[in-house]
Amino acid sequence: MAYFIVFLLYPALSALYYSFTDWDLRTDAAWVGLANYVDLLSDDVKYPHFWKSVQVTLQYTLIAVPLTLGTALAQALLLNAIRRGSNVFRLLLFLPVVTAEAAVGAIWRWLYDPQYGLVNSFLGLFGIPGQNWLNTPELVIPALAFIAAWQCGISMIIYLAGLKGIPDSIREAAVIDGATPIQRFWRVVFPMLRPTTFYLLVTGVIAALQVFGLVYVIFSGGGGRSVTGGPEQSGLTYVLHLYLFAFRYDAMGAACAMSFILFVFIMIITALQFRFVKQEAS
Amino acid sequence: MIRRVTGTAAGVALLIGLTACGSGSDKAAEAKTLTYWMFQDRTPQAGEVVEKLRTDFEKANGVTVKIVKIPKDDYNTKLGSAIASGSVPDAGILDQPLVARYALDGTIKELPAGTVDEKAYYEGALNTNRVNDKLYGLPVDHTAVALFYNKKFVPTPPKTWDELKQIATKIHQDDPKTAGMVVPKGDGYGAWMWPGIVAGAGGSLVDEKSKKILFDQQPGVDALQLWVDLLPSSPRKITDSDKAFENGLAGMMISGPWDVANIKDQFPDLQFSTAPLPYKTQPAGNIGGENGVVFSKGKNADLAWKWLAYLTDATNNTQLAQALGGFPTNIAAAERDAATFGPDQAAFLEQLKVAQARPSLPQWIQINDEIIAPAIETALSGKATSQQALSDAAAKTRALLGWTG
Repeated sequence: MAYFIVFLLYPALSALYYSFTDWDLRTDAAWVGLANYVDLLSDDVKYPHFWKSVQVTLQYTLIAVPLTLGTALAQALLLNAIRRGSNVFRLLLFLPVVTAEAAVGAIWRWLYDPQYGLVNSFLGLFGIPGQNWLNTPELVIPALAFIAAWQCGISMIIYLAGLKGIPDSIREAAVIDGATPIQRFWRVVFPMLRPTTFYLLVTGVIAALQVFGLVYVIFSGGGGRSVTGGPEQSGLTYVLHLYLFAFRYDAMGAACAMSFILFVFIMIITALQFRFVKQEAS
Repeated sequence: MIRRVTGTAAGVALLIGLTACGSGSDKAAEAKTLTYWMFQDRTPQAGEVVEKLRTDFEKANGVTVKIVKIPKDDYNTKLGSAIASGSVPDAGILDQPLVARYALDGTIKELPAGTVDEKAYYEGALNTNRVNDKLYGLPVDHTAVALFYNKKFVPTPPKTWDELKQIATKIHQDDPKTAGMVVPKGDGYGAWMWPGIVAGAGGSLVDEKSKKILFDQQPGVDALQLWVDLLPSSPRKITDSDKAFENGLAGMMISGPWDVANIKDQFPDLQFSTAPLPYKTQPAGNIGGENGVVFSKGKNADLAWKWLAYLTDATNNTQLAQALGGFPTNIAAAERDAATFGPDQAAFLEQLKVAQARPSLPQWIQINDEIIAPAIETALSGKATSQQALSDAAAKTRALLGWTG
């Protein structure tokens, strides 16, 4: 309880208070009422890239979440199908999750390299011309979403648990009824996994809306380079934008307001999912 | 053994303490303590230099100097938190573009008249401490970018923009797989370099006194157009590759002295050298580096200024600047020790004589990142002409600052 108050409730409430102030971390906070919120949503002189960061984050979420869930489910089905050595594969597929973010950033920058990158070499095998992945505004979000899908180990483990929870009797019944593997998946396995999918969808969307570390390591080249979110701000995600205002432009009040706008938005999106997405297994 | 050594050391310390007290100087026993924050040492050798400067100062002044070293990436955040909680050091390093912000809100003290001789410092470096014609710190070291060129493709480095374009075109014509030059990008880093190019065409970014934006005038447009013109001979597809210059994929690049050591270390076979930036009308460059400031809420302001003056004086400044990975800001020190900088560093020394300080506006970092960088990128990607991109950026900057000029 003490922990909850000291480390969660108090910071959250003080952030709420500061979101109504103009505060630079150094001088006394000046009460400005709702000005931060109004300016963020409407003043493109003070916050020229606020809506851009919203757009980037929504795009990322729409691509990354389905891609991550699809990859995780495919991996789980494969793991569930093999009898021997599944432990080894499970470890291999889970490794990206426990790899340090800085290392992940370095590896993927190298994989996406326009000259030496393995991604382009691989595409070249199919006659697809190489792309400048991290420096072409249209390709930045898909490239980032792909990395997120590669890091889907946790979702995979949860899907695997869901698969183990489907009684064999149902599957056997389907086999006796003459269902093909594809029918079995769509008519039996997928509906039975619905609660799992729903849980992963809700948590996945919440995580995607808050994506930060990945973008930060990918687009900070070191050598004193400032992170401005990739080419033409195409990778300027909401939380990266918030971070810049909090720690680079000394606008902590506005940054607190941004965090509460995000909080409310996540609440609304989550409520909508609970309302409109099927959750029960059938 | 270890115990005996520590025991002896403790005994010696006790003796020194007793003699200090015994000699009747009660004041020395409660000697002043100065706290100083700086960036984490780059190398163990740099740490030794700082340590020697610290102990010499302590001996000469009968005080204690406590140095706190913080990783560069966390420094501003930690400092901000310390200021917010009122636990500031007496003095500390401050990034150049933050000086204006801290000066205007009273976080740092103005330099008392007569502390140092202003003429002893390079003007560009000293001006990074100047806000509304008053000085709020001393330049501890400074650095600039210069042209790196691969001797295989570039026998003699270009002096002017025209020569630069000719050489870049020739490199790419001779081998389409090689880019002429790594053209900077429209990000925070590229926007930090760009003022040096504008100054090379005789222009500057703003006039703070008359509150006028100048970067959308001809010199600014020409400087941006230079980068746009270089792109055909320096395709991004080549230069966006990691370490394109070091891997011999590009003939030239713009970077700072830190890369000289990096390249020698990681690419010992690369035959490269450095030269001052090519210019249009006059030699010029940008500036970066560290300033030393004194915090208003700290104690011992007089001692703090004395310490900063000591770090930047003719005797010590070269050693310290080299340890910090920069160049001396003290003219006498720089001229006396010019020979100790290798031939690859000479270009940076030349560059620093003509380095221009950034505008001392508290919002400058934000303008650099959020307005100028995207404008550069817009022109480089061909979405707008250089003039359009900069006129648009100037309008946004005026709106943000509330300027009319």
